[in-house]
Amino acid sequence: MRRTMGHIFMALSGLVLALPIIIVAGASLNGGRTMLFPPEDPNFARFVEFFVTETIWVRALQNSLIVAFGAATLAVLLAWPLAYLLWARGSKLSKLLAGLGSLPFALPPIVFGVGLGFMWAFTGNLGALWVGIVSHAALFMALPLVTISIGLQSIDRAHLDAAATMGATEAVTFRTVILPQTLPYSISGFFFALVLSFNEFIVMFFVSASAYATVTLQIFNSLRNGYTPTMAVAAVLFITVSIAVFSAVARWGDLPRLMGADQSRN
Amino acid sequence: MTAVDNAKAPLATPAPRARWPLGSLAMALVVGFLCVTPFILVIVISFGQKIEGAGWEWAFTFANYQRFFVGALWPDEVTFLHLQRLYYALYYAVIASVLAVLTAFPFTYLLTRLSRRAQSIWLVFILASLSLSEVFIVMGWDVLLSNRSGLPMLFEVSGATDWLKRTGWFEVLREWGLANPRNVKFKTSEFATILTMSYLVWPYAVILLYPALSRLDPSLTEAARTMGAGPARVMTSVILPTVKLPLIGATLLLFVFLLGSYVTVVVFAEPAKQTTAVAVYESVRGSTLDAPFGAAQAVILLVTAAGFLAIAQWLTKRSEAR
Repeated sequence: MRRTMGHIFMALSGLVLALPIIIVAGASLNGGRTMLFPPEDPNFARFVEFFVTETIWVRALQNSLIVAFGAATLAVLLAWPLAYLLWARGSKLSKLLAGLGSLPFALPPIVFGVGLGFMWAFTGNLGALWVGIVSHAALFMALPLVTISIGLQSIDRAHLDAAATMGATEAVTFRTVILPQTLPYSISGFFFALVLSFNEFIVMFFVSASAYATVTLQIFNSLRNGYTPTMAVAAVLFITVSIAVFSAVARWGDLPRLMGADQSRN
Repeated sequence: MTAVDNAKAPLATPAPRARWPLGSLAMALVVGFLCVTPFILVIVISFGQKIEGAGWEWAFTFANYQRFFVGALWPDEVTFLHLQRLYYALYYAVIASVLAVLTAFPFTYLLTRLSRRAQSIWLVFILASLSLSEVFIVMGWDVLLSNRSGLPMLFEVSGATDWLKRTGWFEVLREWGLANPRNVKFKTSEFATILTMSYLVWPYAVILLYPALSRLDPSLTEAARTMGAGPARVMTSVILPTVKLPLIGATLLLFVFLLGSYVTVVVFAEPAKQTTAVAVYESVRGSTLDAPFGAAQAVILLVTAAGFLAIAQWLTKRSEAR
């Protein structure tokens, strides 16, 4: 009885969680240009519009992809030395740097966005695409920092000892022991940053200075004119990408462990 | 959000010695430039002043802060408009974060009792909805709550509106601002704002509570059960005391996260009940174009957020120490 009630509660929570997504997905099938639910004359015309014929959306999607992949790569590259320093030394400086590196993610993004807007205006780069990439990398560096730190902590001490006894230098140990064992965690961190960058809106708004638009920006810009089913297609694409990415992380990595589950129980 | 906590956890294994002073210096410069300079600039510019019709200039004036707390014309005239916006930011964020944690707590507890595989599947779903952009979530709820489609329409068609009118509940809803003379309406209202905000952070709440709840030792609850404690008793005397601090910590983090939410407030809150985040946006990029005043409001948001984050951090430390 209690078990059943528990299951019902979980199912209900899942349903509410899925509700707006289902509505948007349904609306994306609309044949006409009005956002109706249930959809009228359902077909895939809006999908063709979004991916092929409407240049605004095609360009926005390209920008989103460039920024997300660039930012995620850069975030991992920035987080690696920080995480390594923190693990290998645990010094005050490394703790301070890790804390500062997580600051943009922890504080309200609108404040960070405004600050980045000022900063890039001073350097004269406001509105360049690479600025968007660097800004997102700074914002999401905290995620690979966490996953790589978890990965480094899971390395078996015996492997390091064995490498040291056999005379391996730090560089060799790093290449043959540390790097391979933390690779899944680096990849998870990369994907977390990728997905969040793909969906981020407010920081991008301030650093793009309307010089270019990503998909989320484009949707926000069109917000005043009302929604169209083409925007719903974007939402469907985004949720599909997220599910695919996190499924991959769950399939090839240990998702419960990454989320902080206890290791002793299975 | 948990980056700092995890990064500061003590090393499980003593690691090989690493020594690269130049590397550390370079890293400090990069982190300082990318992650700290923006915040410093916001703080510095908040003391600047606006030039009428041009932009702004460096200065050292407290005029922007004075304007925030008592209005620009003080002492002749006092207005609390900006403080009121901060109040609404806090008000929405408090209710929404408490609501999210209260509903996410039983869910997460049940989740951690499932098999590892089932947990993975749920986590994929929750992470996907967590990362879904605020613009899409607002779009979904907007369609659901708007007057021409969604729930109000469902109320009308199913006869729920008529039923409400007959039983007199309709008048109550009108008093709460949730109905117009003809039908129920959810846009724009505090209800819609708080509902969407709560939805926005619900997956975060699950992710934040997950570590604490999955580390709950099942033998503790089993022991309590064998000694004759009922399920309610086990909850109040065993589970809740153990996870009390993570619960409060999670609520605080979500609260800070919601302080800065922008799209939800713009779309769902009444014009008179907008928040500081919206005002920041208006000042920096919107119609008023007053960067220093926008920066000052951002600083106030920042200080509020940092204060609550510090409390959350302290609570986490305390719960780890035990």
